[in-house]
Amino acid sequence: MQVYKAFFRIIQKNRGQILIYLVVFMVLALLLSGNYNPPQDTDFTKVKVNIAFINNDEDSQLVDGLKTYLDENANLVDLPDDTQKLQDALFFRQVEYILRVPAGFTQGLLSGQDVQLEKTTVPDSTSNVYMDLLINKYLNTVKTYTTYTPGLTQEDLTRYVANDLAEQSDVTMLSNGSHSIYAEKSSYYFNYLSYSLFAILILGVCSVMLVFNDTDLKRRNLCSPIRSANMNFQMILGNISFAFLTWLVLISASFVMYGSFMFTTTGLLLLLNSFVFTLAALSISYLIGNLVKSRGAMSAIANVFALGTSFLSGVFVPQELLGNNVLTMASFTPTYWYVKANNEITSAVNFNVDNLQSIFTSMVLVLAFGVAVLAVTLVLIKQRRVEG
Amino acid sequence: MVINVKNLVKRYGDLIALDHFNLAVQEGEVLGLLGPNGSGKTTAINCILSLLKYDKGTIDIFDQPMSPDAYHLKRDIGIVMQNVAVFDELTVYENIDYFCGLYISDKQTRKKLVAEAIDFVGLNDFKKFYPKKLSGGLLRRLNIACGIAHKPKLIILDEPTVAVDPQSRNNILEGIQKLNQQGATIIYTSHYMEEVEQIASRIAIMDKGKIIAMGTNEELKKMIKSGEHINLELLNPEDLDLAGISALPHIISAELRDHQLVIKSERGKNNLIPILDTLKAEQIAIGKIYSEPPTLNDVFLEITGKELRD
Repeated sequence: MQVYKAFFRIIQKNRGQILIYLVVFMVLALLLSGNYNPPQDTDFTKVKVNIAFINNDEDSQLVDGLKTYLDENANLVDLPDDTQKLQDALFFRQVEYILRVPAGFTQGLLSGQDVQLEKTTVPDSTSNVYMDLLINKYLNTVKTYTTYTPGLTQEDLTRYVANDLAEQSDVTMLSNGSHSIYAEKSSYYFNYLSYSLFAILILGVCSVMLVFNDTDLKRRNLCSPIRSANMNFQMILGNISFAFLTWLVLISASFVMYGSFMFTTTGLLLLLNSFVFTLAALSISYLIGNLVKSRGAMSAIANVFALGTSFLSGVFVPQELLGNNVLTMASFTPTYWYVKANNEITSAVNFNVDNLQSIFTSMVLVLAFGVAVLAVTLVLIKQRRVEG
Repeated sequence: MVINVKNLVKRYGDLIALDHFNLAVQEGEVLGLLGPNGSGKTTAINCILSLLKYDKGTIDIFDQPMSPDAYHLKRDIGIVMQNVAVFDELTVYENIDYFCGLYISDKQTRKKLVAEAIDFVGLNDFKKFYPKKLSGGLLRRLNIACGIAHKPKLIILDEPTVAVDPQSRNNILEGIQKLNQQGATIIYTSHYMEEVEQIASRIAIMDKGKIIAMGTNEELKKMIKSGEHINLELLNPEDLDLAGISALPHIISAELRDHQLVIKSERGKNNLIPILDTLKAEQIAIGKIYSEPPTLNDVFLEITGKELRD
């Protein structure tokens, strides 16, 4: 395993540059994701609307039923039937909704006629929609009974309607319970990770490949009895080991920051996605390493490639804000699919076949990029083995 | 036969780098491959090592065809490239261990061989040095150690002393002779004829991609008309009639360079007496006189009409 050992000696000699990138990027990622404060969810409290109820109809049980129902869901404010006072009450927000029951309402409702209730509301107030819904609900229920059960007494009708409207449904949240503040924060961290990972892998792999592809050393190695398959195997093993170590170092920070969250389904999927991306980034770095001829070019490519793909693919700017043309271009890079999968993983409240299929499709595409690029690289190496 | 190359042709477009090149190297010999820059020495070595594809011909090493995949043959070949090929990121010890490890997988054996190689090239005090800290001569020695550490049967050294100071050069040449004494067959390419003369048991002179002369040092010198160079320092050269000297029998050429008269004569026992008689008759006073045998440069000059170092 001479080549494998030499691989890590070269990495070790170049560790300064790699460590600078690692530390700077990790600090930046930690700061940026640490300072991100996602919108906070607040507890829901039912607020009752202040309303005035004016009855110009008879004191029927139906009107009483409506008044009782509204009293349960709103605050009834007692106001005299005086236009001036009612308008003042609206102006000073003493009430937000004034409901007037017109004369003949009860008889009209019982006989199946279309009846109209009069309302006066504060302009553009959202509470009037809520009140409309409540009133419509009451009237529709009454109408259902009068249509399908004719001959009911007002007392029965009022009782049935009251019973129906009192019905409550239990709602169960189908959630895995893992969608926490960490989900969005980790999304930022793992998206940034693609940039640092790409830059570090390109630098590390290229610095080794530059040495091994040096014409004199390459020719010297070709004179030795080591088979090309063996040489490639050791080289690829070295690359994989280096990539795996880099990935471990980068994800270790996520365990420090997000703790047990990383062991939830969301956390584990993020780790899996970043690992798949590491393989693709490694493969691309290996190709670049075989094409690059100088250290200057290596640094330039590491910056341009890592930054370029990150900008295009939504690492720094969310994909939702990028134009269609940009996204189409970005879809030819693995970073795009990696970021897309990350976003899907962290935005999912629970995981089902649909969203998992989309996430794994992205991962498979990232892996396919890696395999395709590796195949091209191996062909390139084979062609170069004997000069023309 | 250690190496047998027949009718090797290598073209770079219209340029013929090797033109029906033939070479046979016997076991235990030191073959010096001598030729000016661009004569095809390195191309021939690269073809022999299967680093270059060639257009025509056959190459056998240890009586077996050589190819890029002939790993069993490569195992017994040591190569010292013209350019130093070592890792800047590895120390002297690690470099030798790396290259030796490509041939020898057993750790204990390798450790012993690496120690021997370091000792052989005299780098014991520099084991932990990185190549960038070594002088040109030490770097060349490291290059040699990397090529010979695995104790190969055939060692090919391609101009290993380029840009090396005289002292380091002598150390390297002595080392090569020692390797040969230990049983290795050696091919040594150079454009320094003195080096080749010093170490080679047989010399092949190359020009324009083919071997134009081959034999021992003496055999090559016998191939040419020129027998010796007679140098005379004249005190009154202005009185000399050069035509009189040139007309003497066995004289090939006579040339006056300032106070120095350089005469090339054919091989013979009594060439000096008629020259001295002629000079005495012309009343030319002689300050100093010495004669030299012909050099490989003379051989090359006579065969090709140009200097070896052109």
